Amino acid sequence: VTIRRAFLMAACLVLAVVVTARPAAAAADPAAVITNLGNQALEVLGRNVNPNDRAARFRQLFSEDFDVPGIARFVLGRYWNVATEPQQQEFVRLFADYIAVAYSNRLAEYSGETLRVTGSRPAPDGSLVSSEIVRPNGAPPARVDWLLNQRDGAYKITDVIVEGVSMAVTQRSEFASVIQRNGGQVQSLIAALRQKTARAGLR
Amino acid sequence: MRDRSMNLRPLRPALSDVVIVLALLTSGCATRPQSPAPGVAAAEEDFNDPFEDANRKIFDFNQVVDRHVLAPAAKAYRAALPEPVRNSLRDFLNNLQEPLIFANDTLQGDFGRAKDTVVRFVLNSTIGMGGIVDVAGRWGIPYHEQDLGVTLGVWGVPTGPYLVLPVLGPSDPRDFGAEVAESFGDPWNRLVTGNPFTLYWIPFVRGGVDGIDRRARYLDALADIERTSLDYYATIRSLYRQRRAALIRHENKNLPPPSGFTQNGGPATAANGGPAAPTNGGPAAASSGAANSAAAARVVSAVQNGFEVSR
Repeated sequence: VTIRRAFLMAACLVLAVVVTARPAAAAADPAAVITNLGNQALEVLGRNVNPNDRAARFRQLFSEDFDVPGIARFVLGRYWNVATEPQQQEFVRLFADYIAVAYSNRLAEYSGETLRVTGSRPAPDGSLVSSEIVRPNGAPPARVDWLLNQRDGAYKITDVIVEGVSMAVTQRSEFASVIQRNGGQVQSLIAALRQKTARAGLR
Repeated sequence: MRDRSMNLRPLRPALSDVVIVLALLTSGCATRPQSPAPGVAAAEEDFNDPFEDANRKIFDFNQVVDRHVLAPAAKAYRAALPEPVRNSLRDFLNNLQEPLIFANDTLQGDFGRAKDTVVRFVLNSTIGMGGIVDVAGRWGIPYHEQDLGVTLGVWGVPTGPYLVLPVLGPSDPRDFGAEVAESFGDPWNRLVTGNPFTLYWIPFVRGGVDGIDRRARYLDALADIERTSLDYYATIRSLYRQRRAALIRHENKNLPPPSGFTQNGGPATAANGGPAAPTNGGPAAASSGAANSAAAARVVSAVQNGFEVSR
């Protein structure tokens, strides 16, 4: 009986460790989400990662840690409601592809920066985590703020604000400009995104 | 300390309000002339860019100049001088800027930063050997950007329409006017203007080196943003305006840690040993790309500062 009991206790212990170590548990804390993202991103960036796989891996990371549908809706702005439902669906998919292509390229220049979470606090509809990117060459650190929303019990990133510059707002402004310069056609943006992401080999 | 969430968050609600109002205005009152085809929007986003056609032409011209003159010069500069030398040069140029930064800190009523600026200038000019070593930065008082355009913004002067100036790049009436005024107020410029035949070239060299150095720092970042952008002009416009707005909001420091957040342990709930621990490589991953974008905004204002021939 005592052996069985010890075994049971051990099993419980293992279970407890497994449960608390799962990333999902960390997702309950916004600051930990950002820290986790850092560890995951390191795998995406690792020198041994085939450059051709970078975009696909980055896209997966983006889908897991970011509120992709919410961001897509925000960056399309007023044109979201103008778009047809198939257009909306295609846009969300192409937007995720585009972010993967654009940012995995930029990350290829990664040269030993480290991220330090410096604080977090509640924001009106979620949480704001502030951090610094410490650069190896002694340049002053860059300030990066992360906006997170709680979605299905987990925190998802909705915006990245670098030195006061919002990536979501920048993207929204660019997309609006593309649509407006093409006679207000949402389809023109979709076509441009298709073209930009065509050669990335994401599917 | 300002409540930053008040500055950061209302963006979305405010934008969506604008969207609603514009939609109401443009959709007409009772009778719609004709329902627009699906996928065609009625309302226009306001970029405050009434001279967009002219601005885009100048932007294209600047791109040609950049491709054939500035970028090659920046590449040559980067290849010719080792990084420590370039960093010393940057520190030296930053130190020359401190008197104007002090004036603007004071004009904005930001006496804490004004004091920092004085300490920086004294330390770096003496122990730092005329500014070539940023000792103050190493001792925890980092350099901060500041200019008269920001001061005017703090005072409530609106930016005015977006302008792209030949060679100087993105600007607006407020920032450009402020820059011209600053070039007259710069103590070093005033020092050399009395000697037109011997020293007149100094401000030009200073501006030129400053511009080349800044351009060199963002060579890869800007090339990358240009390659991946759908509309490079619109991206730069947005980056420039947001960056200027952020400087005016004084968002130069990180948020204070929330109560219960300790530097060593992080929140009790944090996995992975607490978020305060530097994650090696970190989301520097996810955000160094983003940092590049901000860098672009800085470059934009930088190139502008650098090629301020009016000095």
